[in-house]
Formats: sequence, structure tokens, C-alpha cells
Amino acid sequence: MTKKLLTMASTLALVAGAAFADDKPKIGAAVYGLNAEFMQIWAQALQNHPAVKQGLVDVTVFDGKYDALTQQDQFETMITQGFDAIIFVPIDIEAGAAAVDAAAAANIPVFGSNTRVNSDKLAAYVGSDDVQSGYMEAKYVLDKIGCKGNVVIIEGPVGQSAQIQRLEGNKKALAECPDVKVLEDQTANWSRAEAQTLMENWLTAHPGEINGIIGQNDEMALGAIEAVKAAGLDPKSFAIAGIDGVTDALHAVKDGNMASILQDGAAQAQGALDLAIAAVLPDYKPMSEIWTAYPDMPWADGKAKEYSVPWTPVTADNVDALLAARQ
Amino acid sequence: MERNEQTTAGPRLTAGAIAQKYGILIALALACVTLTFISENFLTTRNILNVLRQTSINGVLAIGMTFVILTRGIDLSVGSLVALTGVVASSFATTATTGFIPGAPWPALLAIAIGLVVGMACGGVSGTIVARFRVPAFVATLGMLSAARGLTLLYSGGRPIPALSEGFRWIGTGSLFGVPVPIFVLLGTFAVAHFVLTQTRFGRHVYAVGGNPHAAKVSGLPVNGIRFAVYVISGGLAGLAGIILAARTGSALPQAGIAYELDAIAAVVIGGTSLAGGIGRVSGTLIGALLIGVMNNGLDLLGVESYYQQVIKGVLIVAAVMMDRSKNKQD
Repeated sequence: MTKKLLTMASTLALVAGAAFADDKPKIGAAVYGLNAEFMQIWAQALQNHPAVKQGLVDVTVFDGKYDALTQQDQFETMITQGFDAIIFVPIDIEAGAAAVDAAAAANIPVFGSNTRVNSDKLAAYVGSDDVQSGYMEAKYVLDKIGCKGNVVIIEGPVGQSAQIQRLEGNKKALAECPDVKVLEDQTANWSRAEAQTLMENWLTAHPGEINGIIGQNDEMALGAIEAVKAAGLDPKSFAIAGIDGVTDALHAVKDGNMASILQDGAAQAQGALDLAIAAVLPDYKPMSEIWTAYPDMPWADGKAKEYSVPWTPVTADNVDALLAARQ
Repeated sequence: MERNEQTTAGPRLTAGAIAQKYGILIALALACVTLTFISENFLTTRNILNVLRQTSINGVLAIGMTFVILTRGIDLSVGSLVALTGVVASSFATTATTGFIPGAPWPALLAIAIGLVVGMACGGVSGTIVARFRVPAFVATLGMLSAARGLTLLYSGGRPIPALSEGFRWIGTGSLFGVPVPIFVLLGTFAVAHFVLTQTRFGRHVYAVGGNPHAAKVSGLPVNGIRFAVYVISGGLAGLAGIILAARTGSALPQAGIAYELDAIAAVVIGGTSLAGGIGRVSGTLIGALLIGVMNNGLDLLGVESYYQQVIKGVLIVAAVMMDRSKNKQD
């Protein structure tokens, strides 16, 4: 009995001790939602960051469940629990601003990653320029069809920042090819199944007329490929491009059916984490290998406001390495 | 249903009565004729096959939903079950997972069977909660909607399951005599469901339980068993739809099927089945699903923005229920 009590007491003391002695910086990551592959890769990259693996900091990821209010509540939680820094991937460019304000008022630095938020209180932002990727994918399609013929654009949900910026990039490239006609231009809400239906109907509406397919993400480009196959046509006879570099798209690039532009979510996550740690630990040197992998994105002592992670076109040359990294 | 046929038969078969009885069929015919005139590509073999194939998933879900709604129930979980059964079945159908024979994938039929069983099991859980524990169907299946989506994400780790075997993909992309397989699946499901509802004792019991549960109980029908069974049917058909979807897109996506339950309910309601139970038929549901499919297809062919499609679908649903109400009042 006495022994049992002693064990209990010492266990309690240990637990209490752990709670008090743990003065490791606590960093919270509030992401818009974890249901899709891209954010899974992003979140996994945080846990794989050397500083986390060596136990330098504690990282907690909060799933925003695609709801602005949920994210706001999670900010409140992090503020009351005394987190030292926050990494923020907002669902909505406007609605996230109030959450950033609240954290800034509590003197907790907030670092944006992947998706922008309309706030001047962000300590820094690590992301990739969607206008550029929109330009790159459209340019690939237009080059492949020789700057003439007809294309269709499958857009993301109208009004989302990635849709707006990728469309701007698409149009920039299209302006360089005035002979190319955009036959159709509609949203499939980032969804493979929706894009498949849309493309099936477009192939019916414009038989033999479509030369290029610009999908604003990989999922929708993959849906278009399935529609092309279902119509008994060869995807290789079309110019098809998408953005993000999800695993299925890497396989499709390998098969020669499409082009994709890799958005390095892992680098966006690890870059933001390095910045967050540097804000908390004054002598910290960045530990992620991304800073050597991307010489175009200098660390700048962690003092810059904007870090732009370069896009990587997925080609037959690098696709095997990229696929291997996904295992 | 039987009542309607009696009141509209014989000399009382006026134009108004015809419009009410065949309203949905007339609407479908009108939509097809109009589209044929304004889009040269509508009435082509390939496009008709496209519409049917695009309708197959919603059609299969809606047929299952008809059974549930006939008993005064509702199944909100089918969209999530599409995703869950899709990822579970697909995990046994990738070219990487090996089955009994080393180096060869699992036989596609086994993967399909696993998907169907998972769907039926989830339907069985909902059915038990509704029939045995008297939880309202709305609440029980709302719970299943959330739980099944969570299980889908847990099972798949939030990532798609790619590289499905050729055999498995055949059910979504293959053809027989030039007609895509999903269309056969839809028509086969319809034929079986129609037979069960009109020619079997179980079918009559489904109508009886929905028409007057108290009377059904008093006359000794196994009311609980029938309530349980309709959710198993709906879950199993959700599994079938999930398998078709994964096979069609070539990859099982954990975020697939979101809000599919709403389109399925819409098809049932447009097809004239009463949410009050006991009245309706599966042929109406099929026509309702086809009307939604034709509309989406036609508006795409005409280059109409997808947002209009949602508005038009909303108007259709309400119009169908209003017609249903005036019909019942007449009785």
C-alpha cells in the first residue's frame, strides 16, 4: 500500500515536473485544413524539421477544418496557452486578419505560410507566387501547341487567392499568344471528379477543337486526363498542365500525359518554422536544408518580410527523385 | 402510390392529371428536346452515354436513398460512405498491394466485395441506431456522415490511394458493347430495386412501414427489421457508388463525395417520392437523377456558368415538391 502510494506520488511529481520544467519554446501551426494531400505534406514537413526532431522546440498543428471561425478559435487557444510563435495558413485572405491582430496584441509573432492573409501585422511570409505558377503552366501548354489553336481553362473556386492569382498568370501567358482562343473557362472547385465531368461535356461541345487544357491545380488536370481517355482520345495528343505536384500528378508526368509545377509545401512549412524559431531563440541558425537547396531564397538573417519559395517544373528528369521523396 | 393510380385511371384522366402524374417525365423530355434544338452536340450517341455515365453515381445513391425515404427515413451519410468505401476498396486494388498470388494485385472482385461490405456494415450501424435505439434518422445518419469521413481520413492518412489495378478500374472506365460499364451498373441496380419494391413481399413491407408504421406494426410486420434493412441497402449502394467513383477517377480521394447526399435526396424528391414516406417509386428517382444529369450536361454544353446550375436545381426541387403536395391534396 505504502509502496503504491509512493509510486503514485512520484508519478505525480514527475508529471508536474515535466509540465513545469518544459521551457522549450511552443510553436503553434494553424492550417486551414488537413483533408488534402498538399497540407498533409506541409504538416509532415514541420514534424520532420531538424529542430523538432532534436527536441529544440515543441510544435502543435491545429486543423482549421476549412472554417475561418475555427481558425479564429484556435488562435484564442494558442494565445491563452502562451504559445511563443504561430505559423498561419489561413482559409480566407480577409477573415484571417482578425486572428493575426489578436496574436499581435498579445505580442506573439505570426508567420504566414503558403496562403496570404490581408494583414500588415505578419512578422514574415513564406510562400510561392501563384501568378508565376499560373504563367508557367499556361506557357508550357501554349509552347506545346505552338502558340496557336484552342485551349480551355479549368479554374479553382472563384474568389480564392490561388484562383485569382493563377488566372492572372494564365492570362499573362495567353496575352503573348493572341492567336490562341479560350473556348471555355469555368470552375471545377479544385475537384478531380468535377473537372472530369466538365471536360467530358466540353469534349462533346467542341469535338476535335480543344488542343490545350490549363488546369489550375493537378487534381483538375488529372480529371481532364480521365475525361480525355474516356472519350477514346490520347492525353499525349493534348497539352495538359496542372500545378502543385501531388503524387498522382507525378505519376501522370512520368507517363507523359501532363506537365506539373511543383509547389514545395515542405519548404514553405520548414522556412516558416525556421523564422518562427529565430524569433523566439535569438542565437538560432536555420536548420532546414531548404536554405541551401534554394539559393534564390536567401535566409537574410531571418529579417526579410517576404520569402518566395521557387516553383519547380516537374520533368521526366526529376520526377523519379520527387516520387522517391514521397515514399 | 397505388392510390394515385386509382384516382387518375379511367375517365378522370384529364390533361391536368396527366401533367401531374407524368410531370417529371414530361420535364425530362422537354429538357432533352430543347437541348437537341439549341445544341447540335446534345443528341449524339457519345453525349447520351456521357450523361448516363455521369448520372450513374448519383443514380445509384438515389436508388438506395429511395428505399430509406419510403420508410420515412433519410440517409445523410452516403456522401461520406462514398469516400470511405472508395479508399478501403481501393487499398485492396492498387497495383502495389499484393494478394494471394505474390506479385499480383488482389482480384478486383474481392476489392469490390470489401467495399460493398464496408458500405453495408456502416449502413447496418445507422440502421441499428434508427430501428433499435429509436434515434431519428436525421441524427443517426448525421453522426455517420461525420464518423465515416473521419474514418476515411484516418484510413488513408488524408492522401489519395493511387495506381489502381486495371481490373478494378474496369468497373469505372470499361465498356461492354460500346456502352460504359457504370451505365450497366446503374441500370442493373435500377432493375433489381424496381423488382424488389414492386414484386416482393419485402418491397410491399417497405411501403407499408412508410405509409403507416403503426398499422404495419399492428398487422405483425417486422417493422424494425425493415427499417434496418433499408439502411443496409443504402449503405451498400453507397459502397457501389464509391467503387465506381474511385475506378472512374483512377484514384480514391478521401475528400470525395462531399455533399453527394444532397444530390441523391434531390433526385428522389424530384422523382416524386414523398418525404412523408410510403409514396414513390424508383423509376421516378431514376428520371429525377437523369433530369439533374441532363441539366448539368446541357448547361455545360451551352457554356452556362456552373453557378446557374445550382440555382436551377434548387428551383426544380422546390417545384417538384409543390407539385407533389397539390397531387396529394387532390387525393
